[in-house]
Amino acid sequence: MSTRHILLGLLEAGPSHGYDLKRRHDERFPQARPLAYGQAYTTLQRLVRDGLAAVDGTDADGGPERTRYRSTEAGAQELARWAGAISPPAPFVTNEIFAKVVVSILAGGDPAAYLRDQRAAHMERMRELTALKTARNADLTTVLSADFALNHLDADLRWMNTTADRLTTLTAEVDSA
Amino acid sequence: MRADLRLAWLLTRGSDRREWWRVALTAAGAGLATGLGLAVAVLLSLDGQYSVAVGSGLLDQPGTRDGVVVALMLLLVPVFGFLGQCARIGAVHRDRRLAALRLAGAAPGQVRRIAALETGLACLLGSGLATAVAIPVLLSLWSRPAVLAWAGIVLVPVGVPVLGAAVSALALRRVVASPLGRVRRVRPTRPPGRVFLVVSALCTVLVLLTVLTPDNGDRLASSPARLSVFALIVLVGVAVVWLPGWWSGLLGRVVAVRASRPALLIAAERLRDDPWAAARTNAAVLLVTLVGTGFAGVRQVLLADLHAMRRDGSLGTDMAFYTTGIDLTAAALLVALVIVLSALVVGTAESLATRRRGLAAQTAAGVPRGVLARALLLETALPLLPAVTVAGAGGMAIGVWYAALATEHTASAVPYGALLVPVVVYVCCLLAAATSLPLLRRSVHPAELRYA
Amino acid sequence: MTDNGGTPPPLLAGRDLARAHGRTEALRGASVELRAGEILAVTGASGSGKSTLLHCLAGIVRPDAGSVTYAGERLDRLPEKRLSELRRTDFGVVFQFGQLIPELTALDNVALPLMLAGATRTDARARAGEWLERFGVRGQGELRPGSMSGGQAQRAALARALVTGPKVVFADEPTGALDSLASEQVMTALVHTAREAGTAVLLITHDAQVAAYADREVRMGDGAVRPAEVAA
Repeated sequence: MSTRHILLGLLEAGPSHGYDLKRRHDERFPQARPLAYGQAYTTLQRLVRDGLAAVDGTDADGGPERTRYRSTEAGAQELARWAGAISPPAPFVTNEIFAKVVVSILAGGDPAAYLRDQRAAHMERMRELTALKTARNADLTTVLSADFALNHLDADLRWMNTTADRLTTLTAEVDSA
Repeated sequence: MRADLRLAWLLTRGSDRREWWRVALTAAGAGLATGLGLAVAVLLSLDGQYSVAVGSGLLDQPGTRDGVVVALMLLLVPVFGFLGQCARIGAVHRDRRLAALRLAGAAPGQVRRIAALETGLACLLGSGLATAVAIPVLLSLWSRPAVLAWAGIVLVPVGVPVLGAAVSALALRRVVASPLGRVRRVRPTRPPGRVFLVVSALCTVLVLLTVLTPDNGDRLASSPARLSVFALIVLVGVAVVWLPGWWSGLLGRVVAVRASRPALLIAAERLRDDPWAAARTNAAVLLVTLVGTGFAGVRQVLLADLHAMRRDGSLGTDMAFYTTGIDLTAAALLVALVIVLSALVVGTAESLATRRRGLAAQTAAGVPRGVLARALLLETALPLLPAVTVAGAGGMAIGVWYAALATEHTASAVPYGALLVPVVVYVCCLLAAATSLPLLRRSVHPAELRYA
Repeated sequence: MTDNGGTPPPLLAGRDLARAHGRTEALRGASVELRAGEILAVTGASGSGKSTLLHCLAGIVRPDAGSVTYAGERLDRLPEKRLSELRRTDFGVVFQFGQLIPELTALDNVALPLMLAGATRTDARARAGEWLERFGVRGQGELRPGSMSGGQAQRAALARALVTGPKVVFADEPTGALDSLASEQVMTALVHTAREAGTAVLLITHDAQVAAYADREVRMGDGAVRPAEVAA
């Protein structure tokens, strides 16, 4: 996930303050981790340093002085390049669930019990997301992000089901040997 | 060819119960056709005067013998109709199987050959059995049959399976064209096509021309008149095929809009959706009713006439000579009726078997079995009612016309007894349709929900 | 899954259900409870006995052993005529496909249960039209199921299942033949309508994304309900 590119994308809509950007980010990516204000601020400064964004001016309507940023020509080019480039399809398998199952098998734990509980937790989260998505007033962004999360959870779940079945077969083979 | 034969045999052996039904019924039909064909062949080989032990002298004279031959040949028509109906048993299942063969890489010609061989094998079974029975019977009647008769005995049992295979190949010409087959949906039967319309139009023109040409003496002898009689027969046939289908569609459209009872609604919509489904069977019912009613009328008048002539002493030959002829005709008509009824039973059962998953779903959803059963009976009863009525009226007209002609010895009397025939035929048809109700009970079993 | 004094009795309960098809034991000791207005997903691999469980609970087949109780009545002991009536009045069913009569228009298909209950054709069609409207397929009312898309046909099937105001809807892989968007439309329509009408739904599926529309999930394996996982 590239926060700088996302902020660049938000700036394309027009000049904006750091706080404004943070608010719009959280709106657009409702199921993502909320953007910390400090992170938004440091990212913007780096964009300015690299010439991808520029300071557009300052506002101070009654409150503290706030810097307004805008995207530059180079920024727009960089954004287009990034948005069109493919992401490498899962180059590394680094997932906590997977790691826990492997460690559990190595250490002689109860991976089946863990998988059962994890599965239930996944289902619970999927029910939440589905409820969010099917609510009558759900907007497109919510639906899209819920869909995205649901499909990933579903993939995890399928892997967990297969693994649970594999473990059962494995245990049966060990027991009968 | 050997590989095709082996595949056909494997498919026949591995097929399920419904397909065995088709094999058994096809064999039975082929046996019947072979029996009739053999009788015709043997009778045709006779030339001149003979003394035949059966038939009360009807087979002795060339003239009356020709009549019997024509009657037997006419009986072949419903038999072949029955064979055609048999080919439809398990049609969906077989279509799927043939399509699977095509997907597996079989060429269209090969699939057609395999399907034809399957039918051919069943026909061969039937004709073989029929021949095995016919030869001893013939030998007991005729000590040294002529060479011509033997030739017929060899040709007919070979010809029937070949004909059966050809008919089957013809019937499957659409299935084998595509590897995906017609399996997606059971399509409505197509109404008679353009050829049918052209033929009927030509016949109408011919009949009109003959009727309109001025009378010049012996009209029947002139060749346009003869042609016209033939055309008239074709026209009646065309009307008979077309009427039930057309009526089914009309009835479906009219009733479906107004029906307020579920069973009636379902039956009407099914008729509207596929009015030609039962058109052939209904046409056969119509013909049997027409001929049967006409015959019953003629028979009543004729018998009264004959009895009167015997009282007068003006009867030339033995009474049995005439009554045997009449009885033989009656028997032939009964056989035709039985064949038509069997075709009706097969058609209804097949329609149920094809729809069994949907029917099971309806029952699961709480549609009472009684509603489904009533819809099934209505579907048969509704289109047949006008067909039988019209045919009965036509038959009555023949009877009345004959009674008006043959009043030499008796007073003219309308043969009301013949009116029983359409009623009996109608009731028989309803009973035939009702024989599939036990199958409905089995079809709606939830186990059917498990199959797609 | 034991009753304690505080909770109301379940609307529908199957206990220790067993059922064999020939030699295969589809169910061996499955127990499940459905509360009024609840949407319950039954998941599990194919062949785990999900459909047979639904057939037993809906009174479509009788279990070989065990009991099915609906609103205090033992379904497994009712005569077939009464069961059929119950399926018509109190239950609705939706299958993967096949529950619409192919020769009837969508409107007549939905009107059929009302006509069976004695409504006139005009009334039945009017009410059926309202239900098609709720499922967004009013415009396809005069089409036959074969001319509708899979999703439209399934929404018409839902309308047919819900038109009599049933207490329980049994849905056996209702989205099994649909792509994910059509599936989403069908499931959303089902869930919204069931919640508004307070209809309980027993939803059979092998798809976790479909199961996520339910309030609760039970998993089946080898003809029995697997031990409860984490209480939902």
